Amino acid sequence: MKNNLAERRAERRWTQADLAAALGVSRQTVISIEREKFDPSLPLAFQIARTFDCAIEDIFTAD
Amino acid sequence: MSKASFTSRRAPFHHYVLAIILGAILTVAVSVLVGASNPDDFWLAAAIGALCAAYPAMSLGAKVFVSNHTVARDAHGEQSVELQWMRQAGAGAFIDVLVATIAAAMVLVIGRIAVDALPILLALVGLSAVDAGARYLVIRHRALK
Repeated sequence: MKNNLAERRAERRWTQADLAAALGVSRQTVISIEREKFDPSLPLAFQIARTFDCAIEDIFTAD
Repeated sequence: MSKASFTSRRAPFHHYVLAIILGAILTVAVSVLVGASNPDDFWLAAAIGALCAAYPAMSLGAKVFVSNHTVARDAHGEQSVELQWMRQAGAGAFIDVLVATIAAAMVLVIGRIAVDALPILLALVGLSAVDAGARYLVIRHRALK
């Protein structure tokens, strides 16, 4: 899956560690998602969307 | 699998005592078993068995009686990428050990070679642990580079 997580995080001037803390996951998880090497689980995708006040499909799109 | 983090909380005192008692009982049990398996040198074997068993036995005691009070489980730990890395490493290591076991068995059968089982079993344990650890590091390195 493609995603624009890095751009959205940068808009809020959050570090990867900040986002990881907000999501309750490791920083490596955020790094892996941003590099599109790890597809988050559905609960985590929902949580990411909630964190950025948007829908899942606003962040994640199919390849 | 969940991540866990230590807290500043302490367990009730009697839980530490129970952990030590459980650890001591298990340590003595293992040392007696090891000693009994070597009756010619009971005390030396029992001492070695106790040395080997003490740390894991005490750890088990702490896990059962103490860690519930001192370690907080991360509710979102299962969402982390490390779980996927660990599963991939474990699955790869399982295949490696399976292939190594089959290959070794074929060599022994074809070559009509007789070997003691204990070193082979210990080698398999070592191989699986080292393989899984190495695979985890490689997967992690590839994901983060």
